[in-house]
Amino acid sequence: MVSRFIKKNSRSFTTLVALLLIVLVFSILSPRYFQYDNLIDIVNQGVVNGFLAIGITVAIITGGIDLSVGSTMAVVIVGCAELSAHQVPVVIVVVLGILMGVLIGIINGFLITRMNLQPFIATLGTNQIFRGVAYVISNGEPVLNIQGQFRKTFQFQIARGIRMNMIFLLVLAVIFAVILSRRRAGVYIYAIGANENAARMSGINVERYKMFAYIMCSVGAAMAGMVTLARLGTGEPTAGEGFETMAIAAAAIGGTSLAGGKGKILGTVLGAFTISALKIGLIVIRLDTFYQFIAIGLIIILATYLDTLQAIIVRKIAKRKKSQ
Amino acid sequence: MDNEYIRFENVRKEFPGVVALSDISFSVRKGEVHALLGENGAGKSTLLNILHGVFPATSGTVYIDGKPTKYNSTYEAITQGVIKVHQEVQVVENLTVGQNIALGFEMVKGGFLDYKDVYEKCDGILEELGCSFRSKDPVTGLGVGDLQMIAIAKSLYFNANIISFDEPTSALSVPEIEKLFEIIRNLKAKGITILFISHKLDELFRICDRVTIFRDGMCITTKEMSETSNEDLIHLMVGRDVSSYAVRTQPSCADYSEVVLEAKNLSGMTFDDISFKLYKGEILGFSGLVGARRTEVMRAIFGADPLNGGELYLHGSKVNIDSTETALVYGIGLISEDRKREGFIPTMSNNRNVNIPGMGKFKKGMLGLVDEKEMLDNFNNYAELVKLNIRNPEHFTVNLSGGNQQKVIVAKWLSTKADILIFDEPTKGVDVGAKAEIYKLMEDFVAEGKSIIMVSSELPEVIGMSDRIIVMREGRINGLIDKKEDFTEVKILSYAMQEKES
Repeated sequence: MVSRFIKKNSRSFTTLVALLLIVLVFSILSPRYFQYDNLIDIVNQGVVNGFLAIGITVAIITGGIDLSVGSTMAVVIVGCAELSAHQVPVVIVVVLGILMGVLIGIINGFLITRMNLQPFIATLGTNQIFRGVAYVISNGEPVLNIQGQFRKTFQFQIARGIRMNMIFLLVLAVIFAVILSRRRAGVYIYAIGANENAARMSGINVERYKMFAYIMCSVGAAMAGMVTLARLGTGEPTAGEGFETMAIAAAAIGGTSLAGGKGKILGTVLGAFTISALKIGLIVIRLDTFYQFIAIGLIIILATYLDTLQAIIVRKIAKRKKSQ
Repeated sequence: MDNEYIRFENVRKEFPGVVALSDISFSVRKGEVHALLGENGAGKSTLLNILHGVFPATSGTVYIDGKPTKYNSTYEAITQGVIKVHQEVQVVENLTVGQNIALGFEMVKGGFLDYKDVYEKCDGILEELGCSFRSKDPVTGLGVGDLQMIAIAKSLYFNANIISFDEPTSALSVPEIEKLFEIIRNLKAKGITILFISHKLDELFRICDRVTIFRDGMCITTKEMSETSNEDLIHLMVGRDVSSYAVRTQPSCADYSEVVLEAKNLSGMTFDDISFKLYKGEILGFSGLVGARRTEVMRAIFGADPLNGGELYLHGSKVNIDSTETALVYGIGLISEDRKREGFIPTMSNNRNVNIPGMGKFKKGMLGLVDEKEMLDNFNNYAELVKLNIRNPEHFTVNLSGGNQQKVIVAKWLSTKADILIFDEPTKGVDVGAKAEIYKLMEDFVAEGKSIIMVSSELPEVIGMSDRIIVMREGRINGLIDKKEDFTEVKILSYAMQEKES
């Protein structure tokens, strides 16, 4: 059972090793790095990207992409902020926030499956549209007067530094992982990404399952939005701008193939924490923040190069075996 | 031989596991239109590919104008004036006609591309060909016939000595064909030697001087067109020992009192007026040449492509199959001819590939998780049934041999409990041993009172396995052969190649 889990998630363990290496290097460089509060902060900083990344992973597995996750966040942020400012109870705000995500997923899914637009283009367009919607809802200004209860729901500390939003990420990640690996929809999502023609010719309703994938993606973004709203305390319509790139980066570092058909939620979550571990490490050793960009870029390239390297090595071994 | 221009001498081509051409020897005269005729897979295209430098021959020599000639690339062949006009002409959209003609051979002046001379030269050629468009026009929006003219213009641009046409008329309308023939006659008058592949016998009689007939990778004979006939050619193309494989081992179990599936006047993008009945326990063969649009009809019935018109009845009641999922629900399965693109998921194991369509059945618990144990049992049952050689459920389908991959796909559809299976080229790329096993699976399937539609371009297979045979030609049903004694290659080919007499 354990060995099978390791076998099925071998790529995720590569990411784990990368993460641990980064932690190790910074721990050597600075005594302040390997401390409880700092390590918790790595997780804390990775939560929003984590939500976005597990969602975008599902979209990427189908062979698509969702570039609108940052704006989706913003719509949910100002939407939920308005609701909360109008004294709507927290539970209803959260439910409606998730429904906003579902609706946005349906819109993206409709453009991609019914109007046959390329996912990249469709979501490039909706990214602009949703950003505009966020501005329209908030009239271009931060929404104030969020209920304390709403903030507390996500920010509540169950132990020192461990907040509810981390638990929520854990829960959603587990739900996504179970759907992907243990439910029919997940198997079909992988099948569509690996060979859409063959999936269709096997009687799979490709459109329906793609739609489902984009809904999952936007629900992840909606959760990222609510976590951000609870943190900031005001509904910023500018929030989440450009966040899609870090979400894609986390998925790629975690082993998700942009070609589709391959990827794991576990890897993506580790990928998100790898990025935050690196960011915080650079801050701790007081390197100029400018270097963050370079470092993160290198990590993305190195991590994906590992996949290429692995494939080359596997092929070489196979060749050597054959020639013997 | 008088003014012999091209001579093939003992040309042989082997692909891994297959001999595509064995000892081809014949010659082509200068300035004649020489037809290459044969069934699909007889070796005509392989020979052209060798002539045009797509790949080298395994052994043997091609002489052009008395000199042994071997091109290392199509580029080299083109510069030597040996040019092929493909079945479907590829052009680069967004470029002009002239840019396409000169593509890859642009003239350079002072480090910059110089199109002035190109355009001038091209316009002269286009004028000569009687084309309505000129070299500065964009190719976007031109029809298939026009694109073919571009390809011919390209060959003149390179001062062709030899031009090969591979089924040039298959996508053309009647007036376009007339124009093409006129041009071919002009090319011939200029002394250009022309090789011409077509399955349309009437065209060969109109345009060609001589014909060389291919069968199973061998060159049978070369004849003067004026000294032969339709029947003669068809007999020369077939004439093979049919009994050697593809035979039914069980008596037919077709029950002609019960119609399972009925198509009434189905039409789609490429086919029209398709009506037929499929009976219980029957194997209904669909024969025809490549391009007869059989696959397209089957895809539409299976819900993979939309129908434009017509009705489909399943067990007497009208059905509307608008997606493959609906087909699956109605118990119709399709085993695609293109295994790699449409047959299986390359990143998945045999277990997953077999269980994919029927996965809805294997749910457990409140969360509706897939029941891995049930799926494994299901896989093991069907792997055993289809005699899958590599039973390991975790083995990836993509790494199996063609025959085993096909068994995985058959197992997949058997496990859905479909009662109508459409086999599109069931044994394409399958080794002999697995072929026999797939035939047996088909027989066992109909023995249970289920029905099969089998699309096949292999005549022995159609003749050996079918209860009745429908022959299609150019998107229409051109003949129905329902008596076993009429199952002959000659009869099928004449339906497949000749206009219906009505």
